[in-house]
Amino acid sequence: MTKPIHAVSRRQALLLAAGAGAALAAPGIARAQTFPDRPVTLLVPFATGGYNDRLARAMAPFLQKQLGQPVTVMNRPGGGTVLGNTFFMQQPDDGYMMMVHSAGPYIPLSILTRNARYKAEDFHMINLPSRDLTLAAAATSKGINSIDEVVTRLKADPRSLSIGVQPASADLINMALFLQAHGIDRSRVRVVTYDGGGPARTATAGGHVDVGFVGGEGFLPIRDRIKPLLMFTDEKSTDYPDVPLLTDHARAAGFQPQSVDGSQRGFVVLKRFVDAQPERYRILEQAVERATKDPECISTLGNQQLATTWYGPEASNRAYLSSAAVMAQYADLLKQA
Amino acid sequence: MIDFPAFGAAISLLAGSPQAWIWVVPGLLIGLVFGALPGISVSMAMALVLPATLYMDFLPAIIFLTSVYTGAGFGGSIPAILINIPGTSSAVATTFDGYPMARKGLHSEALGAALVSSCIGVLISYIILFVLVQPLAEVVLRIGPFEMAAIGIWGLVLLGSIGGSTVAKGLFAAAIGVLCGTVGMNTAGYMRGDMGIPWLLDGVPTIPAMVGLLAASQLFALVNAKFIVENKENRTISLRRILAGGRLVLGSPGTLLRGSAIGVFVGAVPGVGSSIANLISYGETRRSSPDPESYGTGNPRGVIAAESANSSSEGGSMATMLALGIPGGGATAILLAAFAMHNVIGGPRFMEQNRDIVYAIILSNFAQALVLLVIGAGFVFVASTIVRLPLRYLIPTVLVMSTMGAFAIEGSIAGPLTLLAFAVLGWLMSRYGFPVAAIVVGLLLGKLIETEMLRAYQLAGGDAVRVLDYPVAVGIILLMLVSLALSLRRDLRRRAALKTDTAAAVD
Repeated sequence: MTKPIHAVSRRQALLLAAGAGAALAAPGIARAQTFPDRPVTLLVPFATGGYNDRLARAMAPFLQKQLGQPVTVMNRPGGGTVLGNTFFMQQPDDGYMMMVHSAGPYIPLSILTRNARYKAEDFHMINLPSRDLTLAAAATSKGINSIDEVVTRLKADPRSLSIGVQPASADLINMALFLQAHGIDRSRVRVVTYDGGGPARTATAGGHVDVGFVGGEGFLPIRDRIKPLLMFTDEKSTDYPDVPLLTDHARAAGFQPQSVDGSQRGFVVLKRFVDAQPERYRILEQAVERATKDPECISTLGNQQLATTWYGPEASNRAYLSSAAVMAQYADLLKQA
Repeated sequence: MIDFPAFGAAISLLAGSPQAWIWVVPGLLIGLVFGALPGISVSMAMALVLPATLYMDFLPAIIFLTSVYTGAGFGGSIPAILINIPGTSSAVATTFDGYPMARKGLHSEALGAALVSSCIGVLISYIILFVLVQPLAEVVLRIGPFEMAAIGIWGLVLLGSIGGSTVAKGLFAAAIGVLCGTVGMNTAGYMRGDMGIPWLLDGVPTIPAMVGLLAASQLFALVNAKFIVENKENRTISLRRILAGGRLVLGSPGTLLRGSAIGVFVGAVPGVGSSIANLISYGETRRSSPDPESYGTGNPRGVIAAESANSSSEGGSMATMLALGIPGGGATAILLAAFAMHNVIGGPRFMEQNRDIVYAIILSNFAQALVLLVIGAGFVFVASTIVRLPLRYLIPTVLVMSTMGAFAIEGSIAGPLTLLAFAVLGWLMSRYGFPVAAIVVGLLLGKLIETEMLRAYQLAGGDAVRVLDYPVAVGIILLMLVSLALSLRRDLRRRAALKTDTAAAVD
């Protein structure tokens, strides 16, 4: 009987020692604090190897330093993040799990197009450092030089060009709003759907479709094979500094620019947890903030093309909820591919 | 085409770095074990070891991952041959002739043939990658929905009626497979047949379904048998016979080369990969053979065709990944992630600026193919001991392992439930003489064909005449029709000859 008790107390002693060591290493954290007293999990609702997975794995050692507990990564892919989100909703509100997620657009999209049972407001953003924007692009072999050329040809004959896009995506909303603004009948355009950004990019770069509307980041490795035509944003992108922006294009064409971010990625917890455990939430938020601002973290992640901007919960939640609202507003555009 | 200074640099890179070598054997072994476990696919095996590569240098990390890739590519064929359950979806066609060979007591020969054709397949594919990486990538990038749909249809036509007592039963089974394969969200974003179950949003989980179908149909058929190999004298575990199986491969260079060519090409096309290559190569070998009836009853050429294709697709998908930065499938997506974790962006620029590293990866894979030959021989030697295991121990063990594998895929009960549901379906189908293999073929090819047909339809704007703008697709379809007509004529002639023979005998 005594043996197992011994073992437990020894392990606790070890954990305490580890915790104390970490507390010394990170003086910002109060020594008396008991949370977290066991490993923290980062839940990624995508398969290994994607942006969120890489972000989680790269951040883990820096979070570990702040939290004084091992940080592990768990992947739960499937159903356009519905499976991962549902699993997350089922966890206790103890703060031992955070998500690294493309919260926008996946959470609102899963609600609008996959009848997921949670609401966009059930999730709380700690920080969304990474944004991916819709890029309209054509294969260089197509000889299409500008977005105006695309508009002119589609206006003359909506069937003249084919467009590749992911169904139920922010890209589809951007494409639909763009065609609408130019008075082009979308139902007559040859829209080809791809179930994933990768296939849509392959189809664009390979010239299977004339123009692709898909997240720009993934195009970087094959930058030489495509002609970027238009970025769906209002501020210059660092990845594509010379590409025309939607705002400028809209001003010239005389319409009100409207677009949604392709992806808003970062650290997510449940609203429920924030309300139930405000102290624990503070600790997590602080850890994420300190890790994000850690100079070593910034250089390590920067080398891996991962974002480390600190926007904070307020700005992140605002961006997330406003893009969710735009998506809800145009939900009907998503229903027809 | 070959950059010799870079080649020299690659050799010194490998020669000067023991780090680059120590991971080859562990990688191959991990790949073999995970590949051989039913339910764990090649890309899952790589995903499992991906986090460990964070702590290695770039070249050793990539070599380690490609070793796992190579090992798992072959590992899947071991349970396929010994117990008719493909360890990975890339070994489905290996079961068609491998398992009948095992039941006849030719398990050692079948394993040897699979091993040697895998090693040679890997070798050939990396030689092609070494010499033709750029042109291959250019061709592959042009393959659009029309061409893909044509390839998929070809596969279904070749294999749709496989193993059935009648063509009608075969086609019925294949149709059920296609139907199951289209559950979930289609490429246009429409949900079909998910019955409100969130686990079906991405469709029926293929691997548990496949394991369930094949395991049930075979294991229940073994109820009255005591061992997989009935004849006691044949239950040998012999390295000599494994090597004899390897020699069979060298005797069928045509089959081997065709399989490797199909594997490299199909494997290189993004989104297709080794499981389709494995099926198409098998189907094509069977169709072009002078005695198609012998396939499915333990023809070693079936094993050779299947295994050379799934292994050589590794080199094909590596070509697409290296030259274009496009992951053709799960395995190369993981490799690209490993690139990113080491601050390297894969793609054409990486190829141009780091030719020495690319050559080092290719050279290491030549070595891996040879090392696999040795390690694989040892591994299958040990694995073949299960023919001595009485079935009353083997069957429950296999069922437990398969169920655990199905659970491991998603970490949820959805996998085991799928396995159970499809095991019941598989048992019912085989009980009434429907070929279970055809369901699996339908399951694997149905989704591909549907997706590509839909895109082709969208691209044509619903105008069927537009297919004429895609000469390659038309060519594939015409080739298929001609080859079908030829086989049909041959069959009819043979049947007529048979009739006159029997008529003469009666006279």
